[in-house]
Amino acid sequence: MYRLRWVFVPWSSPYKTNLSILQRLPVRTCPGLPLLVPPSHFYCKAASLHEDAVQAAEALSRYKDRPWDYLESEEYIERYGTSPVWEGYRRNHKGGIPPQKTRKTCIRGDKICGNPCPICRDPNIIIHHQNVKLLQQFISPHTGMVYDSTQTGVCMKQQKKLNEAITTAQDHGLLPFQIPFVEYSGEDYSNSHDAVGTTPSPPSLTIGDTWYKWYSEMTPDENQVAKVKKTYKAYLK
Amino acid sequence: MAALGTARCLFRSYSRAKNVQKSKQMLARCTTRTLCSATQDNALSDGAKPQFTDPAVQDILTRITGLDLQKVFRPIKQELKPPTYKLMTDEQLQQAMESAKEEAKKLLQMPPVLPERKPINDVLSEDKILDGMDTAKYVFTDITYDIPHRERFIVVREPNGTLRKATWEERDRLIQTYFPKDKRKIVPPLIFKEENLKMVFSQDRHEDVLNMCLVQFEPDSSDYIRVHAATYEDLEKHGKYELLRSTRHFGGMTWYLVNARRVDGLIVDLLKRELLQDAVSLVSLFHMVHPHSESAQEAASQQATGTDLLKIYAQKESQRAGYIELALQAYEQIADKSSAA
Repeated sequence: MYRLRWVFVPWSSPYKTNLSILQRLPVRTCPGLPLLVPPSHFYCKAASLHEDAVQAAEALSRYKDRPWDYLESEEYIERYGTSPVWEGYRRNHKGGIPPQKTRKTCIRGDKICGNPCPICRDPNIIIHHQNVKLLQQFISPHTGMVYDSTQTGVCMKQQKKLNEAITTAQDHGLLPFQIPFVEYSGEDYSNSHDAVGTTPSPPSLTIGDTWYKWYSEMTPDENQVAKVKKTYKAYLK
Repeated sequence: MAALGTARCLFRSYSRAKNVQKSKQMLARCTTRTLCSATQDNALSDGAKPQFTDPAVQDILTRITGLDLQKVFRPIKQELKPPTYKLMTDEQLQQAMESAKEEAKKLLQMPPVLPERKPINDVLSEDKILDGMDTAKYVFTDITYDIPHRERFIVVREPNGTLRKATWEERDRLIQTYFPKDKRKIVPPLIFKEENLKMVFSQDRHEDVLNMCLVQFEPDSSDYIRVHAATYEDLEKHGKYELLRSTRHFGGMTWYLVNARRVDGLIVDLLKRELLQDAVSLVSLFHMVHPHSESAQEAASQQATGTDLLKIYAQKESQRAGYIELALQAYEQIADKSSAA
């Protein structure tokens, strides 16, 4: 029996890991059967699947070294325009109030979940500390604070990577941030205190002796030795 | 801990004894000095070398920095609160402006300019009996709360048994570990490396770099001085003095340029923006700092003031004499017109 599998792919580029699932399911069309008019992005031919796999593999490597190029490309502009990457994404959850934390991760091994987060759904979006334009989409332009994952919808794993990338970018100076005001009043910079100033070494060292007298050879006073021997004469051999 | 306490007491007593000795020496020196001739006194009172902290120097630098309230109180990125609106009379508005100016003066307080700190190389004890006992260094820090960080004893016991005072870098790291300051990192951020500095300067973010430097480093550390020097050099090379005007760093930059004798660019910039008084005060500061230069001696002999000072400077010292003279001529024409009209 021919089985028609609806694979709803809302954007033109396929999920990078979904292809393995698609390849596993044999999907064929029969010209005799009344064909349902597929949407323009409906892939049901094995040959096109292979092409997509090749394309996706190329896409993975195309922006891996320079992830910031993707944000200038036509693909990106066509897909997102001027709005941020996370705009329009809606989380799926039960009830009116969404959970306080988004899902832990969208991609587990080869499998990608349904309705992945804005970063996982597009394999060309790579979080990198030099990808400043992307990072800036996740920072509020008014307060300078990073948006919470409940606002943007990203999964916790990507949110953590995002936070790390933002701190690295700020460290390198690629992203500006607000610096606190430093007060300089009442501080003594003379460095005259012994903790930070120079303490002269003890006089014995300047002469050239060892630090402690008992480090070097100490010859005992013979009179003293004789007295001690006399007192303990009974116990000496 | 007890041993450290006794060590501190010993050190304190030793330092007090040292101070007594020093004061005795000072007294001796003073008595001999009064017997010396008067000319030496005059030379000393002129100021062998005016320091950054001198009131005259500070006055000039604060005047040159300017006080642009719009720039000092520009909106910063912070937690947003709903805005407050107040209805005020003219008098209240005046008072509010005055208090804003006071606040701005506090914000424009200049960070200290200090010579580089000398490295600490003191050995307190060499206990060869402990040689090879351990494979790691032990650092002992005095974490008493109420003492200034510069009076805090931090000592290191090396594996070979030497007990030495910690170096400045170790001190900074440990004090940040036990008494963390806001936004100061243990490892300095990578922005202070050469390549990253260049990239940041190309984005015109010199003020941010200087603020980060103030947060991260101590004022007499080598990194602080190096970053400041690099920033000032870049500003001078591209003539971007306006970036720092009305910030707390303008005074430091001016002091650096005056000491390096490269004030031409700054004077040209001041004349372009028609800040003649500031240019005049800058030239007077230059003469104060370099009293033996040609222009200073010429000015002192002629007792010049105002635009004459600038002319003398332009003739004697400056490389861009042409521009300065042109600007002065233009100013004089405007002054003549206004006085005629």
